[in-house]
Amino acid sequence: MAHPQIAAFARLADGNAKPTRRIEGQKTLLGRNTHAIAYDEIHDEIMVPQRLAQAILTFRGGANGEEPPIRVLQGSLTQLRDPDRLGVDPVNNELYVPQTGKILVFPREADGNVAPIRVLQGPDTQLGANAVAVDPIHDLLIVAGRERAVPDSTRLMIFNRTDKGNVKPRAIIRGPKSGLTGLGGPIAVYPPRGEILVPVRGPSDNILASDTDFVGVWSIEDNGDVPPRWTIGGPKGTLVHVHGVALDPKNKSVIINDKRLNAVLTYYFPEIF
Amino acid sequence: MAIRKAQSSHWHQKVILLAIFAVLGTLAAFLLFSGKGREKQSVVMERTPTGTAQLVSIELLPAMDGEMCQWVPASATMSLRAALQQERLALLSQGVGGRAAQDAPNEAARTEAAQRKHLRMIRDPYSAFASVAVDPIRNEVVMTDENLFNILVYDRLENTPPTAALSEPKRIIGGVDTKIEFQCALYIDPKSGDIYAVNNDSVNTLVVFSRQAKGNVSPDRELETPHGTFGIAVDEEREEMFLAVQHDNAVVVFRKMAEGDESPIRLLQGDQTLLADPHGIVLDLKNDRMFVANQGSFHRHRPGPALEGGMMHSIQGKSNWPLSWGNAIPGSGKMLPPSITVYPRGASGDTPPLQVIQGPRTQMNWPTGLAIDAERGELYVANDMGDSILVFSTSANGDAAPIRVLKGPKTLIKNPTGVFLDEENGELWTANFGNHTATVHKATASGDTPPLRVIRSSPLGEPFLGMGNPHPVAYDTKREEILVPN
Repeated sequence: MAHPQIAAFARLADGNAKPTRRIEGQKTLLGRNTHAIAYDEIHDEIMVPQRLAQAILTFRGGANGEEPPIRVLQGSLTQLRDPDRLGVDPVNNELYVPQTGKILVFPREADGNVAPIRVLQGPDTQLGANAVAVDPIHDLLIVAGRERAVPDSTRLMIFNRTDKGNVKPRAIIRGPKSGLTGLGGPIAVYPPRGEILVPVRGPSDNILASDTDFVGVWSIEDNGDVPPRWTIGGPKGTLVHVHGVALDPKNKSVIINDKRLNAVLTYYFPEIF
Repeated sequence: MAIRKAQSSHWHQKVILLAIFAVLGTLAAFLLFSGKGREKQSVVMERTPTGTAQLVSIELLPAMDGEMCQWVPASATMSLRAALQQERLALLSQGVGGRAAQDAPNEAARTEAAQRKHLRMIRDPYSAFASVAVDPIRNEVVMTDENLFNILVYDRLENTPPTAALSEPKRIIGGVDTKIEFQCALYIDPKSGDIYAVNNDSVNTLVVFSRQAKGNVSPDRELETPHGTFGIAVDEEREEMFLAVQHDNAVVVFRKMAEGDESPIRLLQGDQTLLADPHGIVLDLKNDRMFVANQGSFHRHRPGPALEGGMMHSIQGKSNWPLSWGNAIPGSGKMLPPSITVYPRGASGDTPPLQVIQGPRTQMNWPTGLAIDAERGELYVANDMGDSILVFSTSANGDAAPIRVLKGPKTLIKNPTGVFLDEENGELWTANFGNHTATVHKATASGDTPPLRVIRSSPLGEPFLGMGNPHPVAYDTKREEILVPN
């Protein structure tokens, strides 16, 4: 992508809407390849991984223009190798960074060269962690992962939030009925109802676009080969290459990115709120 | 009797309380409404010394714009948990939620939900030019479009009149069969007119199309490239193709006609190269030099077996393939100032640069595409966030100021990511990612000079969204905004 940025659009933006603000430029320390973003509504902060420089950047919630981050987590103690996704728990003040075979947990306010406060790692975890989300009500850590070098092996793993070391997940959702083939991007969780939203790339050979994509909704109570309770945007819907998902509970909406459409779509979906 | 007395006492208390409220209400109403021009003015009471605290003024709050947001103070971290719990309890009381939306919907409801249309879709309907190259022999100019995923071919002399909505290209190559998505750099073979286009992100494939290609057609040739490849330059004399690799801080050199899963013939990578998020690349064949624009993100690699994960593609049996995420050293990341690094044309291995243009005087802010005039000894830099084209001497080194700068509202240069020097016609082309245009200036233009010609892909003044591969998304509940990184 030629131009990195974080663009903000009004909730009701539609069509060719102008961003209300952009965070961009050398001083932002942003790079291409921002594959996760978290908005922390308690502390009014935006957090993103900066993969190319092995860092986590935190911006003011209202950051605009070429504004530097207020915190940069980076350095030899961090163990950050390939920070592509992240999850923030603003209630317990923690930051979660999946790193394939492990999940690093930092204090939310970690700044500079800070070591993780705990690490979830080991053969029993069955990680292959790709995306994370935290449910602070039920004290759960939801992890989307896949088996190394095994296509269509996406699975959801549910851990206790404070698990560390070599711990087995409480539940694993996977299998042909689950429809969990390829993972499209970061996942989301709606704690009040214990729902997990996962962008799923359907079983298609075409990596660019497919009508098998959807956002699936599972429950934190699910375990095993369980189909999604709901699918949003497909299969055979508008989505053709699903990426990220975010929730707007106040307006009972689900916001979804689609790479091939190069677009952001908002769905009214009161059933899950 | 005792009961009646108590009732009577209770009644008297009520009357007294009502009287107090009535007096207070009257006083409040007087205070609020007695002043002139009430809005945004203070209501000030005349003070009479009483020896006790007095209400002396009331400042009316200004009218709020827009909806009020529900907000939790920063100090109340546990309040959010409580609020979430409350929401959950409310859902439970309505029998619709709680720990795990218990009741699975029926099939009809699921089908209806899956087919439900979106309410809104944020999308730019116009092409966003990321790179540009001219074919002077056939009098055509080619642009890559990272918004609608096309390669667009225009007449070189096309000039969109201000009254026109946009210019129509002569040919469009686009569609899933073309494998075109985030094509960020271009090269046109001067002999054949073949178009080489590099994909920076979603597909690890460099695609090559003949001049006849149009529509949704398969590439005439494909080459597997390292993930995150950005810039392209070709040495026609030696038939070598140079690619800058953002993710791995590397330059790989292939045979110009390489295809399939062929290995590079050379690799430039290592700490001493100072390559850091390399973007544009250009060759000075007169002086046997290679110039690379770096945006500054950096991490180190350790040779040896790759660790788990991070492998974006197969490298089995390949030589000269850059070390990638599987070999990245944890915690080695840095953000360096932007730079132009200069190497011998044939550099390989961990070769340090001969020159490094870097520092505040350079004005670089996300330098992206590069072009060169070897005869004049001038290097052109598309300076994305500076909204400028910076021109340096090819011998510049250190914290060097540009010898001229093309910048200003009249230039129409906005977020330039691609630049091309048409030496034959003495023209400088700029792909302006930030305003749906490609602009043409004299090669020697500087300052706030209007372009000679403009090719515009949208009506004047249409908003520019700048979205490209929107991967994650977040919702800012405080400002009711959707946050979309590229």
